[in-house]
Amino acid sequence: MSFATKRLGKELAKVHGNLPPGIALVTAEGFQEWLLDIQVLDANPIYMGQTYRLKFKFSSSYPIEPPEVTFVAGPDRPIPMHPHIYSNGIICLDLLGTQGWSPVQNVESICMSLQSMLTGNTKNERPEGDEQFVASNRRRPRDIDFYYHDNTV
Amino acid sequence: MPSPRHPLGDHSLPYTVHTELDSDDEVSLDTDTITDGDNITASPSSRGLHKSRPPTFNLNLRHTVDLRAITYNGTVDENLVCPICRCPFVDPVLTDCDHVFCRPCIDDALSESQLCPIDRLPLSSDAVSRAPKMIFNQLDALKAKCPCCGVVLARSMLESHLEKYCLEAVVRCPGAECVKLVKRKISGEDCLHYPMVCPDCKETHDEIDMEAHRENSCNERLKACEHCSAEILRCKEEQHEGECPDVVQPCKWAEYGCQDEAKRKDLPLHADECSYKAMGQMAETLKKEIRSLRSEVRTMNETHHLQERRIKFLEGGQRASDRPLDMMDLSLANLPESTGADALESGHEYLLSLLEAQQGRLSQLSAEVSDFQAKSTMMLFNETLPIKNELAELRSTQQVTCMHVRWLMRFRMQENQRRFGGGPGATSNGGSDGGSSSDLSMGRRLSDSLTRDIITKL
Ligand SMILES: [Zn+2]
Ligand SMILES: [Zn+2]
Ligand SMILES: [Zn+2]
Ligand SMILES: [Zn+2]
Ligand SMILES: [Zn+2]
Ligand SMILES: [Zn+2]
Ligand SMILES: [Zn+2]
Repeated sequence: MSFATKRLGKELAKVHGNLPPGIALVTAEGFQEWLLDIQVLDANPIYMGQTYRLKFKFSSSYPIEPPEVTFVAGPDRPIPMHPHIYSNGIICLDLLGTQGWSPVQNVESICMSLQSMLTGNTKNERPEGDEQFVASNRRRPRDIDFYYHDNTV
Repeated sequence: MPSPRHPLGDHSLPYTVHTELDSDDEVSLDTDTITDGDNITASPSSRGLHKSRPPTFNLNLRHTVDLRAITYNGTVDENLVCPICRCPFVDPVLTDCDHVFCRPCIDDALSESQLCPIDRLPLSSDAVSRAPKMIFNQLDALKAKCPCCGVVLARSMLESHLEKYCLEAVVRCPGAECVKLVKRKISGEDCLHYPMVCPDCKETHDEIDMEAHRENSCNERLKACEHCSAEILRCKEEQHEGECPDVVQPCKWAEYGCQDEAKRKDLPLHADECSYKAMGQMAETLKKEIRSLRSEVRTMNETHHLQERRIKFLEGGQRASDRPLDMMDLSLANLPESTGADALESGHEYLLSLLEAQQGRLSQLSAEVSDFQAKSTMMLFNETLPIKNELAELRSTQQVTCMHVRWLMRFRMQENQRRFGGGPGATSNGGSDGGSSSDLSMGRRLSDSLTRDIITKL
């Protein structure tokens, strides 16, 4: 049993117990990939009535390494509009990068951070250069250097 | 090839067995010693088949338990859980910023980034030292299940339990020349690793595995019962004989003269119409009656003896009360010589009985006191437990909230900065790839220090 598996087993037991409002576990098959749904709870007109699906991919070094977290599109599951979320679901959040990550974070706390990131947003737009980025990017999100300090939203 | 006969366990054993031997033994990696399907990483073992083992040779094996893979009993205090691996600490260390982690966990985390995982302050591996003894003591006292036999005991006792006592754990085979491992509960006096011929199929197997072979894998293990023709295990033939429905048995009233016999399944039918039924039943009732009468007589005898003794005692008391002065003398001056032998005896008896009564009362009182103590401890415990749990929950929620406040604060800060100062954040927008890392760290440090300023002002 690897370190990541043990830790995720503990998290899964807790997640099955109870999650904060607006966060729901969809699937957690195996300990490589989990799907969760999140909703923005306050009356932000950009996100009202919508549910968004998050995909977590864990490496065997989790939680020392951050998981790879992206929004995934599906029927009734759009990619939320946000100046730090590309239309292919890649999220630009320092918490999820190697620099901003801390091993005490967990799936629940990441979901809550993303919830509050959406809650605080007022701009109904994509990041600058979204089309170009989506067309050209072949790298994993973790390997992309974002300007994390540019949290002007 | 997982063989059903070998009872050594499954693939995810949370412990490791070490089979290192004396240094003068010729050491070679002998894969035959370990049966396939066992997840026991046995280290080199001896081929010294021609050496005989000294009689005091220790059969126990050192076990190393993976403390993160075992099952703990009940919920573990949140303060004893590592925030990185979410398990009760293993080899805990204390950082200079007063946080506790497992040593392997914080080592891994620091090799990735030199920040404290909780407060994100710079932290080097030199600023990490062994946690206070108290934490170790608390961890040692945690109750965990033995991965082999499931018994619950203190975590610190697990390894010695597996090494010395656990019946389900493996030990060296007691055979002087044998290098195999067996479960402690079947490691008897002698090595059972010698070949035997199966009486059913004539194949050769080790004696230790013979029972499992005859029950599970022998090709000839089944036979048809000669009475009922059901398929039965050859090795369980005798047992079947005792319950086979077609075996002929005497009537249950045979004791009282019935000569009839019938198949076991037909016996109830016969019993209903057996001519000895009435007599048999009566005899049974009589037997029962006699037995109960006997026991009654025995209890009567006992009470009789008791009463006899009591009467004697009362007579003695009567005599003593006839001479109250003597009694006074005896009890006050404690001068036994001044009283007659008779009075002395009865006085003694009386005092002794008083003493006995007092003793009885005393022990009753002390029982009551300890009972009460236990009750109040339970009550206290019951009341504090939910409070403690709630506290732990609140603490973790508060930590998460704290993190969020910090995070949101940074947003607000930067927004203010952009609005009023037209700061550096206003110009570069969006997350285009290829940001320089020096910019990044500058920006982070800037926002962090500003946040801290705000917090101190608040
Ligand atoms: Zn740990
Ligand atoms: Zn710290
Ligand atoms: Zn045990
Ligand atoms: Zn043996
Ligand atoms: Zn056989
Ligand atoms: Zn039969
Ligand atoms: Zn009969």
